[in-house]
Amino acid sequence: MSQGVQVPTASPSGMRTLGWLRYVAALVVFAVIVGAGIAFVWDFSVEEATRSWAILTAIALAAAFAAYAAAEYWQTGAVTSISRQFDTRTIVLMPIAIALNIVLGQAVGAALKIPIYLDSIGTILIGALAGPIPGALTGVAANLIWTYVLPPPFHSDIAAAFALVAAVIGLMAGGFARIGWMRPRPDSSGTTLLVGGFVAVGLVLLMAWYAYDRFYGSQGLDLFAGTSDPLFQVLAVVVGVLAVAAVIVFAVLLFMRRDVTVAYVVVAGIGTGIVSALISAPIAANLFSGVTGAGTDFLVAVFRQSGSDISTATFQQGLLSDPVDKLVTFMIVYVILISMARRTKARFPQGEYLIERGAGGGID
Amino acid sequence: MPDFLGQPGPTPWHRLAPLTKLVIAIGTAIAAVLVGGVIGPLLLVLFGVLLPARAAGVLPRLMRLSLLLSLPIGVSALLVNLFFYPGGQQVLFQVGPITATTEGLALALQTLARILAISGAITLFYLTTRPADLVLDLERRGVSARVGFVANASVQAVPSMLDRATTIVAAQRARGLDTQAGIWRRVRGLVPIVGPVIMGAIAQVEERTMALEARGFTRPGPRTLLWTPGDSSRQRLARWLVVAGVVAVGVARATGLLSSVAWLG
Amino acid sequence: MLTLVDVSYRYAGGESPSLRDVTLKLANGEVVGLTGASESGKSTLCLVASGLAPRTIRGTLEGQLSIDGQDMTSAPMHVLAASIGIGFQDPVAQLSGVCGTVFEEIAFTPMNLAVPRDEVIARTWAALAALRIEALAPRAPNTLSGGQMQLVAIAGLLAMQPRHLVLDEPTAQLDPAGTALVGAALARLAEGGTSILIAEQKTDLLSRICSRVLVLDAGRVVLDGPAAEVLADPRLDELGVPVPSAIRLRRAIDAAGLMLDIPADLVA
Repeated sequence: MSQGVQVPTASPSGMRTLGWLRYVAALVVFAVIVGAGIAFVWDFSVEEATRSWAILTAIALAAAFAAYAAAEYWQTGAVTSISRQFDTRTIVLMPIAIALNIVLGQAVGAALKIPIYLDSIGTILIGALAGPIPGALTGVAANLIWTYVLPPPFHSDIAAAFALVAAVIGLMAGGFARIGWMRPRPDSSGTTLLVGGFVAVGLVLLMAWYAYDRFYGSQGLDLFAGTSDPLFQVLAVVVGVLAVAAVIVFAVLLFMRRDVTVAYVVVAGIGTGIVSALISAPIAANLFSGVTGAGTDFLVAVFRQSGSDISTATFQQGLLSDPVDKLVTFMIVYVILISMARRTKARFPQGEYLIERGAGGGID
Repeated sequence: MPDFLGQPGPTPWHRLAPLTKLVIAIGTAIAAVLVGGVIGPLLLVLFGVLLPARAAGVLPRLMRLSLLLSLPIGVSALLVNLFFYPGGQQVLFQVGPITATTEGLALALQTLARILAISGAITLFYLTTRPADLVLDLERRGVSARVGFVANASVQAVPSMLDRATTIVAAQRARGLDTQAGIWRRVRGLVPIVGPVIMGAIAQVEERTMALEARGFTRPGPRTLLWTPGDSSRQRLARWLVVAGVVAVGVARATGLLSSVAWLG
Repeated sequence: MLTLVDVSYRYAGGESPSLRDVTLKLANGEVVGLTGASESGKSTLCLVASGLAPRTIRGTLEGQLSIDGQDMTSAPMHVLAASIGIGFQDPVAQLSGVCGTVFEEIAFTPMNLAVPRDEVIARTWAALAALRIEALAPRAPNTLSGGQMQLVAIAGLLAMQPRHLVLDEPTAQLDPAGTALVGAALARLAEGGTSILIAEQKTDLLSRICSRVLVLDAGRVVLDGPAAEVLADPRLDELGVPVPSAIRLRRAIDAAGLMLDIPADLVA
């Protein structure tokens, strides 16, 4: 029986290849660089530099990736775990994913002026189907192309600066898919559904409470009792409604399909959103003083007026918009994935992790 | 060799190697961010964007496009910084309960200058270089053909996806979908469009993958190129000078040299 | 000579094999037709014969694929691409999508396979001339009509001067003039030694250009012989294959009891 699938099989003499060693190497390098950065380099008297730890993280991430690749090369003489994710199918999907990011991001983020962006749909989709590295690269490429290559009206000045955020989103999406969080589990037992439902709904409610507290709490809106009230109320309502809509869709999917994966997807979305906010806030604050031309700028303004400096204000805004945005995006991607035929998914590098178990006929 | 391939550009600036123009664009943008202040970025705009644009004969188009690009974010930046700068002491004027401060104005101008520099540099690059030429230039220098494929295909994918979306919008409209309504209707209306666009694109992936592999796409190593953009040692020198300049500005910024030069603040 | 011996193929994630024990020999210069009801395995056989199954679309292949006696069952796709070309029904997905002109689009395969530059240019002009589409050379591929795109796609196959050509319903988008051009180019190719496998529902077309015809049913080869014999076989109806109109005419005449003498070249 022949398959004709080409996988380089260089095996070094007598050494067992320990996969986890590579991750350890990467983590060590990452920690060393971040630690060294914080201890030695980031002692500038220049205000902006001390807050730009995003750049530090970028360097650390790139070095960690290089360490991972080097470790694998040393162990096996090739970097198959990375190149395997980049077969022709991935290469063909990448431009489509990039276009999805840009078209949807432009249509939703720039045109509709609601505080979600929907500009990582392609990144997360390809991360799930092909792997973390294609996901990361797609995110970076999409942001760079969005700024440096495309003419108006598809253009965005600020996207390139956020390439790092997009990379991390792609990595996380690929990681979540790899550990099976996007594999449909129809016919989950009643108990599983209940537990999953509680966890996910709990998280969403926590998020919604945070949003409410930020706006209407002591730090928030009493300064604007007069003229500006309606505007900020509307924005708060939109964010809240989106969260509620997500919960409703989620509940429908969960109980109609008896598919507890929906809960996993919700957690993945919110988690990715929080990480994304953490990384994008310093970039927005330092490079663009918090203003990105999206519908979220007024949120930043609100927070700044209530006393936060630029960095904290952008961070507060991010913690509001990003989890909602990523939650909605992850759900959309999950819906796309379950609409794709098994045959189609099976041919992608990570396809086997996206197909329900035991549904007849394995992957060859 | 057919004469419609490898056409040189109309002006000497156009005929520069794509890599050179790219380095200049990115260098100008990064330098503008690093330099900070208002005068620095404006000088960069003058020498890195406006003068070359004039030499290339694209100045009017560049100004139109660039201003168009920066308008939304510029207005946002101006308003947010001018009015909502916390801790601003010197009041310029007041509009109801909102005050404009001098410090806010300073930051607003700084941000505007930076945005102008970035947008101008990128627009100049876009107006004088074809993306396919840049990809060829990079491929000639050793970048993998598959990377070049992704770059070229991505640039084409956005307009073609929008075309498909427009067709689908027209079809949906014929079926009674209301695209002129308010925001909530529009969000709901997006769904029947987004679905077919995405699924249509994914369906094509399989066929295109087969076609590419059957046409030898998976062969490792470089492929034959029909033509490549020209380059020269002077351009190489210029590129390295730009890189060195950006690094110098970065070092000056980091070590506080720049802040000590008063007029750059 | 392209040979498939006892080939069975199951798609990845498929429940049962789509091809069972197929043996097929394509001699140099032979034009072989492939027909059968839909879902009988025609397209799958094309994918296997070109090497795409299982290399590109995964799945399980049993049996052997050889070219000129050499076993190619484990050869990678780009090696096969030099000697086998495959064309599909939909031209849009066959174009690379990244070439700015028709010329570069046709040159795509030789460029990928690192053919020397001058030879790439010569072969591209030759392919354009074979299909009489030199005028399209500077055009952008996405501005072409469906029929023009299909001609460009086939010209792209000709640029490699493949020893074996596999075509899956290639004339679907072509008008009669285009079909005639393609037919003439294929005939010239066959004279030059290229073997051609055409999968078609249009048995009229097959009866005109093929010397041999295979009929598939549920993944197995049920008929394999000279075109005239196979296409006149009475079992075609129950196999779901449309009978060529000339033969239907002949049968109608016979059934009506008419004694008409029809010239051979009208029926062929």
